[in-house]
Amino acid sequence: MITELFLTAFKSLASNKTRTFLTMLGVIIGVFAVITLISIGEGIQNFVTQRFNSLGSNLIFVVPGRINFRDDPGAGYATNKLTKKHYNLIDTYISDVVSDLTPLYEIGKSLTYKNKNYYSVLNCTNENGDKAYNVEIAEGRYFSRNDVLSSSRVVVIGHEVRNELFSNQDPIGKTLKIDDKTFTIIGVAKEKGGAMDQRSYVPYTTAEHIFNSTRYSGIVMKAKSPELVDSAIKRIEQALLRDLEEDDFTVLSQKDILNSFTSILSTITIGIGAIAAISLLVGGIGIMNIMLVTVTERTREIGLRKAVGASPFNIALQFLLEATSLSILGGAIGVILALITTTIVRLNFNFDATVPLWALLLAFIFSAMVGILFGTYPAVKASKKDPIEALRYE
Amino acid sequence: MKKPILSIKKVYKSYMVGGQTIKALNGVSLDIFEGDLVAIVGKSGSGKSTLMHIIGLLDTPTSGDVILNGKNVSKLQESELATIRNKEIGFVFQSFNLLPRASALENVILPLTYSKVPKTKWEDNALEMLKIVDLLERKNNKSNELSGGQKQRVAIARALVNNPSIILADEPTGNLDSKTGAEIVKKFLELNKQGKTIVIVTHDDDLAKIAPKKFVLKDGEIIE
Repeated sequence: MITELFLTAFKSLASNKTRTFLTMLGVIIGVFAVITLISIGEGIQNFVTQRFNSLGSNLIFVVPGRINFRDDPGAGYATNKLTKKHYNLIDTYISDVVSDLTPLYEIGKSLTYKNKNYYSVLNCTNENGDKAYNVEIAEGRYFSRNDVLSSSRVVVIGHEVRNELFSNQDPIGKTLKIDDKTFTIIGVAKEKGGAMDQRSYVPYTTAEHIFNSTRYSGIVMKAKSPELVDSAIKRIEQALLRDLEEDDFTVLSQKDILNSFTSILSTITIGIGAIAAISLLVGGIGIMNIMLVTVTERTREIGLRKAVGASPFNIALQFLLEATSLSILGGAIGVILALITTTIVRLNFNFDATVPLWALLLAFIFSAMVGILFGTYPAVKASKKDPIEALRYE
Repeated sequence: MKKPILSIKKVYKSYMVGGQTIKALNGVSLDIFEGDLVAIVGKSGSGKSTLMHIIGLLDTPTSGDVILNGKNVSKLQESELATIRNKEIGFVFQSFNLLPRASALENVILPLTYSKVPKTKWEDNALEMLKIVDLLERKNNKSNELSGGQKQRVAIARALVNNPSIILADEPTGNLDSKTGAEIVKKFLELNKQGKTIVIVTHDDDLAKIAPKKFVLKDGEIIE
């Protein structure tokens, strides 16, 4: 019986292809928009997580000002009070639970080699900078403690910096200019993907001498184990409060930053997805409208079916299956379009926009629900038609 | 003594129209026996359509009993009536009422889809019925590709397919020319000769003449 009803539903839909397609359009657009947005949102989250994790693990950052992810994150830098004194406080009081401690200046500078320029963010750290940021060296070496102590004008360049300025040449030992000061390239970082490849690394003492930097962009370190992250953060806070006010700094773990970011992104994704879901409702209303027209157009058929033995339930089921077939078919087309779009996005942009299985299931359930929800009223209306009146209908 | 297939006992049917009660049937009683060829005749407004709807279980009486094969069906629910209609009544309508998008074969199969007959037997049963009405060669034609007479023959095949107790024909020649109408009448006579019980509802005296048994309705009552 169900097979017959499905066949009848598909025959009926196939008999008026244009109307069927236009009716499905709302659901197609709705499902397509919801899945594509969710997939791209997930893709961005995965991309950020991957990039962030590539920095290393157990990272702890001390940054100037109070960061609460609501106010302007740049505000703390305007009244930056982080100095060597605070680096020393951490080094003195909690070196038992943290390692690879380094001060950090982040300075945007133009790097010039012959007539080529490349704008790069300089990560100015001590000799621990490579370990703290998980920088692997492809050619040459990272700078040493001696380089830091002597404020050497040496630089380690990122993968992309190397490609842009030196193409096929070996950059090790060559010099480039930063603010008209000559620096010797001592190393090239391995490719990591994303913004990390656009960075360069200079001893922080050199930055202090040449760029007159005095206020740290941050102090970076690693907890010696994942379990020590929380206690280390508390102890860093206690140590820094010896000299600073609560609002003068924020201690963040890598996990905190990532969680905050993913939580913001999830909220945005769900919000946009919910807005897109409104078009699903509009699609549902379109289905209900057309099904009501169909019920009226097929009044005589309903009368005939009842005369030859169809019960009200049979009639209701037939029209409900028609509405649900419309919405599920629309949903399937929407899913296919979303899969094509996310594949295009994945191939053309550098992040992994995959359609999560739960989004596919959600789309299927949502489409079916739209069909059931908006198909019920026309179906019940059809089932309640008086067979005598229906057979007389012109 | 021979038991009737269908007994209508003191059936009254009234409708409310614009706040007024209209009596369509006024204490109608009749018996239909197996193998009968019955004509129910009457002028427009005589109540013959209402009586046909009650005999066809498309409507229930306001009072009185409808006994079909020994079972009182006058107070059953719509879904129960649907099951009995499917099994016991075969309808032939004046305007054929074929599904326009379906083939002749699919139209004949339609009542089987609501029956308990296994799906494997549907096509064979339907083809057998199309053979009876001499339309086997048009089985795949859509209904709009058939002539009026052919459409009515498909409708007769559809009415026969569940082997019902009664075939109920409502003005079966009303939309046909006289020659085609005569062919349909011939088909009904053949079927009756084979033992089928046929009830023809008509206002056409010539058509009514073929029936050995006749009920004439006037103002909701049987007058002869």
